[in-house]
Amino acid sequence: MALDTPLSPEMTAAPPVARRSNWRRALKGQWLHVIMLPLSLLWLCPLIWIAVTSLKTSAEVFDPAAGFFPATPKFSNYPSTLSVAPFGKYLVNSIIVTSSILAGQLVTITLAAYAFARLNFPGKNLLFTLFLLQVMFPIYAIFLTNFVTLREMGLVNTIPAMIVPFVASGYGTFMLRQSFRQVPSELSDAARLDGCNHLEILWHVYLPLVKPTLLAFAIISVVTHWNDYMWPLLVTNSEAIRTLPIGLGLLAKADSGADWPRLMAGTTIVVSPLLILFVIFQRRFIDSFMHTGVK
Amino acid sequence: MSQNLGRIQRKEMLLAYALLLPSLVFLAAFTYWPIVRSIWFSLNDVLLGDPDIFWLGAENYLRLLNDRLFWKVLGNTAFYTFTSVPLSIAAALLLAVALDSKLRGMAFYRSAFFYPVMIPSVAAGMVWVFLYAPGYGPINEALTGLGLPRLDWLYDSKWALPAIVIMSIWKYSGYFMLILLAALKLVPSDLYEAARLDGVSAFDRLVHITIPMISPTLYFVIIIGTLHSYQIFDYVYVMTQGGPADSTNVLTFYIYQNGFQYQDIGYASALANALLIFVLGLIGLVSLTLGRRVHYLGER
Repeated sequence: MALDTPLSPEMTAAPPVARRSNWRRALKGQWLHVIMLPLSLLWLCPLIWIAVTSLKTSAEVFDPAAGFFPATPKFSNYPSTLSVAPFGKYLVNSIIVTSSILAGQLVTITLAAYAFARLNFPGKNLLFTLFLLQVMFPIYAIFLTNFVTLREMGLVNTIPAMIVPFVASGYGTFMLRQSFRQVPSELSDAARLDGCNHLEILWHVYLPLVKPTLLAFAIISVVTHWNDYMWPLLVTNSEAIRTLPIGLGLLAKADSGADWPRLMAGTTIVVSPLLILFVIFQRRFIDSFMHTGVK
Repeated sequence: MSQNLGRIQRKEMLLAYALLLPSLVFLAAFTYWPIVRSIWFSLNDVLLGDPDIFWLGAENYLRLLNDRLFWKVLGNTAFYTFTSVPLSIAAALLLAVALDSKLRGMAFYRSAFFYPVMIPSVAAGMVWVFLYAPGYGPINEALTGLGLPRLDWLYDSKWALPAIVIMSIWKYSGYFMLILLAALKLVPSDLYEAARLDGVSAFDRLVHITIPMISPTLYFVIIIGTLHSYQIFDYVYVMTQGGPADSTNVLTFYIYQNGFQYQDIGYASALANALLIFVLGLIGLVSLTLGRRVHYLGER
């Protein structure tokens, strides 16, 4: 960072001794690269292995003497993976499920967060606590009875079954309420004087101002539900409605660990959409996850 | 006048409830109702798909107390939570402090440590099954290269759970690192300057300045980490199916086994309630021990 800043006139005019200490300061702390560089490569290893293995032959995987890279990259692993598992179909299902959850959440959290941030009504604190409780009871803790409920509703093995448990979000409501509260009340007072009602104020004044929060929540929600495994696994059992992670799990089961190149080609297909988006919109992703902790 | 005010207030109240209604319908159906129901189920003999229900009273809970596998599973769950959460947060803290020291190539490092969060748990689990493979897996090859003994990892009842813990550190540290990094940026740098001038060592600066200054965030990360540890179900399902010899069987997976494989909803509900008590107890413990010691400095 220090090296990135252009030299200011004072610095260039400084005596040699001071300049050397500038250099020292710039280099100071950089010794950490000695630790961080190998560590970051270690972190990248699984990803590298996915990619490299997806281009090998089975024989090369099982032969320790075959070396790290495949002799000739076997790109045909990809078509052969796509021929055993309909990843295109899975992709469409993943998109439908993830975007429906997000759309539902954006409606419910916007309305609820506005009520909690700007309206007065009896039972406000109690209701807010109830919303927050949901954060502590994720689907992993209550999946069993939810499954029974959905079964009774006849929704098991349908697309809505993968969506409905996640439409309300205590976490999203909390996040958005914090942002709404930071909107200066003069703005809504002015709109009120202009004859706007609450819903108009919410739409025209509040929502445009909290776009960064909505985007941050959207990114976190999409990453979470795109990658979801347990719940879609429990409520689906037909090919037509499976999502990408479930499809990958099935491929693994069918292969029972024997056909690593094909499995890793499938893994590459499944992890690619989000990783590509992440590389393109890196700053947005990082900012969204970074500020989940700072209220 | 006051009547008029009352009418406005009533209008505001009705509007508020109307705005909350969509959320409340879904929260009631898929968060609160399941909890109520699972208490009811746990007191009865309920089989999946069988409309007949028989009252059992506390019998499911007595069975649970005498179920040796339950205690083993609870121990595994506790082991996983008490190792993976502190270890990944410790790793995250060290990474965040290192990256906060104006290291060049920040963007690269951040992404390199964070990307596992983007990878679906099923894909992550699968790759690590490959990495851990005893015969040809890269980890054993690396151990041999270093002159260390090879391990059976997921096939060894001693090493299977620690192997999943190691994977979790890889998977989640980057997320915690980002949250901590945001908090570190808010620590005034003159604090460090002053400490450095006084000759305080880097370790002491970490313990006496950094950690107290970011303790609210650290506390938040511990809670998030505890809640994330539920996700071990995915890894157990993909990597070991609870084996070998139930050494990686954890509460979420045991609930699944009882409810879905043995169709015993009553007993599985008792287990689910035990899990909720475990998690609530854990969060209560964290907020009583750490929550009280959190320093809230400055207005944010």
